[in-house]
Amino acid sequence: MSKPEKRTLAGRIAVDLVASVAIAAALGIAAAIALAGVTLLFASQARAAEASGEGKLLLRPRAGGEPLEAPLQSTAVAFQVSGIVARARVVQTFRNPGDGWYEGVYVFPLPENSAVDRLRLRVGERTIEGEIREREAAQRTYAAARAQGRRAALLDQERSNIFTASVANIGPHETIIVELEYLETLRYHDGRFSLRFPMVVGPRYIPRGVADAARITPVVLRPQEGRAPVNPVSIRVALDAGVPLADVSSPYHQVDVKTLGEGRREITLAEGSTPANRDFVLRWAPRPEAAPRLAWFTQSQGGRHYALLMLMPPDAAQEARLPREVIFVLDTSGSMAGASIRQARDALSLALERLTPQDRFNVIEFNSTAMALFSEAREATPAQVQRAISWVRSLEAGGGTEMASALKLALNGSDAGSGVRQVIFLTDGAVGNEEELFRLIRERLGDSRLFTVGIGSAPNSHFMRKAAELGRGTFTYIGRVDEVGARMSELFGKLEAPVLKGITLQWPEAAHAEAWPARVPDLYAGEPLVVSASLERLEGELRVSGVRAGRVWEARVPLAGGAQGSGMGSLWARAKVDSLMDSLRAGAQPEAVREQVIALATAHRLVTRYTSFVAVDRTPARPADAPLARADLPTNLPEGWEYDKVFGELPQTGTDSRWELLTGILFLLLAVLFAPRRGRLA
Amino acid sequence: MTHDQELWLGVECAWPKSSAPAQRICSQRVRLLLAAVLVALGGWQFARGAWIQAKAWVAQALIAQAWQRTLAGGTQAKPWPWADTWPVARLSVPSLGVERYVLEGADGATMAFGPGHLRGTVLPGAAGNSVIAGHRDTHFAFLRELAPGSTIVVQMPDGSYRVYAVRQARVLDRSDGWVAAQEGPARLTLATCFPFDALRAGGAERYVVWADAIDEHKDRGGERGSD
Repeated sequence: MSKPEKRTLAGRIAVDLVASVAIAAALGIAAAIALAGVTLLFASQARAAEASGEGKLLLRPRAGGEPLEAPLQSTAVAFQVSGIVARARVVQTFRNPGDGWYEGVYVFPLPENSAVDRLRLRVGERTIEGEIREREAAQRTYAAARAQGRRAALLDQERSNIFTASVANIGPHETIIVELEYLETLRYHDGRFSLRFPMVVGPRYIPRGVADAARITPVVLRPQEGRAPVNPVSIRVALDAGVPLADVSSPYHQVDVKTLGEGRREITLAEGSTPANRDFVLRWAPRPEAAPRLAWFTQSQGGRHYALLMLMPPDAAQEARLPREVIFVLDTSGSMAGASIRQARDALSLALERLTPQDRFNVIEFNSTAMALFSEAREATPAQVQRAISWVRSLEAGGGTEMASALKLALNGSDAGSGVRQVIFLTDGAVGNEEELFRLIRERLGDSRLFTVGIGSAPNSHFMRKAAELGRGTFTYIGRVDEVGARMSELFGKLEAPVLKGITLQWPEAAHAEAWPARVPDLYAGEPLVVSASLERLEGELRVSGVRAGRVWEARVPLAGGAQGSGMGSLWARAKVDSLMDSLRAGAQPEAVREQVIALATAHRLVTRYTSFVAVDRTPARPADAPLARADLPTNLPEGWEYDKVFGELPQTGTDSRWELLTGILFLLLAVLFAPRRGRLA
Repeated sequence: MTHDQELWLGVECAWPKSSAPAQRICSQRVRLLLAAVLVALGGWQFARGAWIQAKAWVAQALIAQAWQRTLAGGTQAKPWPWADTWPVARLSVPSLGVERYVLEGADGATMAFGPGHLRGTVLPGAAGNSVIAGHRDTHFAFLRELAPGSTIVVQMPDGSYRVYAVRQARVLDRSDGWVAAQEGPARLTLATCFPFDALRAGGAERYVVWADAIDEHKDRGGERGSD
């Protein structure tokens, strides 16, 4: 090696060193600049709020200084069952444990079709009978009594199955009892009657910016707070089935059953009372040979006859079932992403597997647009079904919820002939244009039936229930993945055996009958036809006809000679109110409907959306200078629900944007460093 | 050093050491290639990050228009035709000059466009506990600046207002679902990811701010008094 070469080498090492240091420094500076830039760009000055210490206090209801010393409360329910109608008396006890004056407000559920026709307020020895008033008038009366220091009770209907009881001026250590009564038609299915008493309003999905969201969202009690469940409920059922009974059972509660006669039982809770955190259900079955095929109850009231008909079509077990055309519609919009779409895919695959080659089917998916698997319904051969299943398995969620176009595609006016056309809609119902969709269903339903299946933890049940009702089908709710199999089998077991469709009722001219529901749904295996009617005269015969397995089926019911019933007027009025409320969706004049409902409810003393019960004690109780506090009575979380499961984890709220911006800038800076330049390393 | 460099530059560049011009050409080519790759990578990453930010802020402008329609009597006014969500409240912090439109639903798809109202909790402004979640690096970055006593104003779809005062803030775990508890006084629970300066998404910590309602509902014109 010559000297110059050595010098060159030494020089090159030096240059390399300098270059390395420069690169490292540049990288560091670049990183710093990038970080600073990012921070300056997207984060404002950091005045970190200190993560304050032990904050358990905030969980307690009293945290905000607003006391929630809820008046303890208990409920006693007594049922009087006669034949197919039950009258329930619900006694709610409001007790004030404190030294102040309280107003108690309690949101509670009642069965969907219950006709609430009585309210009484009991204070000590005195009983004050409630009066039915227009809702606003009742609320004014109540507010005035509350301000004047009188004891008062108000019962409002918030939804067809959710009510609010308010009791004003409960004095220190005082007990006030609110009694309400309702009537309901019992459910009869597969040879068994069932009576259901709901006990808790679950946390609800609030479908829109409803003004009354607060009124239907009760305060939920946190289980961890070491309190016993609130509101113990005691239940007593006096059962008079009218026919010899085979067995009586309650699936969710231990009950004592006392036999009083062949068709009479007395049922009480074995433990005396139960926390109001799960629905009470009682089922009983008449002896098979005595199973009722026809029940016709009448009652005369104010010059008219009110009647209730229950008619059981003959069993269809031995007969060929009607051929079906099944259209599945799957919501693949963005709101279904995650667990919901997986659940829906599983449910749909199960349903597809149950099809038989006699059935015809099609599958439609929709998000921002709707798309059908086949251009028209095809026979469900194993190959076609397999093709559909693999298509369904490949579907992913994303995009908008254009439900209208999917409904138009599914309800395309095609006729099922002598068979049945069933549209099965799997969705979470996260839609904003409910009214438009209801109108669409009403207009295009034709001969089809619409069955909605609610998916996910918080589906819009209100929309799906109503859509199914308008579509003359049913609503099935699947809340958890492990329920998919069971609930879908249940639904499909039913759908596979339609017994009677196109049911029409022909009343004798002279009877001037007004019967509800006006649109009779199809009957499935084990279901009876139930109709409420108001008649001028009990003469002649009612003709019920329908189509069964392609043949016309007809039954005749003589109107005279029915069994004496009670509360028939209330049940009829309630059925009519339901139909009137539904007519709002068909574009009926709200004012006209309101007037009709109020007139009907006033005549039959019914609580509706437009009418409330109010009871006011004449004697002022609270001294004018004593303040009145309000307590929202907490509701228990439904049994088996876990607090954290209902509300879940806190959402993921970070993005990779900063990381991506930073790495992006770094890469760009590096690129600048490495860009070829003349004379750098020479 | 030189040896290292050779290894690093690869076999292709194992020219004789003395041949400086050749090495320069080689090194120039490699650098060009590297630079191109880096520009592509950097551009891609930067664009992705910028896209998230752009989406977040442009969406708020569109939602502002939907909110005007809501105030004018529209229900569930969608900010864009294919939206799966709609504004349910306007949240503002006068002291910070912050204004955010809260959307219905606190799922990932929604929170890209605005803070989301957790379904199952009451709506902002209503009695009870309203839970709102937002991204720490976009709409809810301002949460760190809220100090106890800060005022938050909520405008509801009917145009009325409700005022809240920040009580406190805490760092919790994402499994602390109890913050959605509904009992107790009217309040807002604002949640975002923590730490604020984390570069990557997916952390388990959440920063939660509680604010209590400090007044009754107020109308725009004040024509409706409290009873």
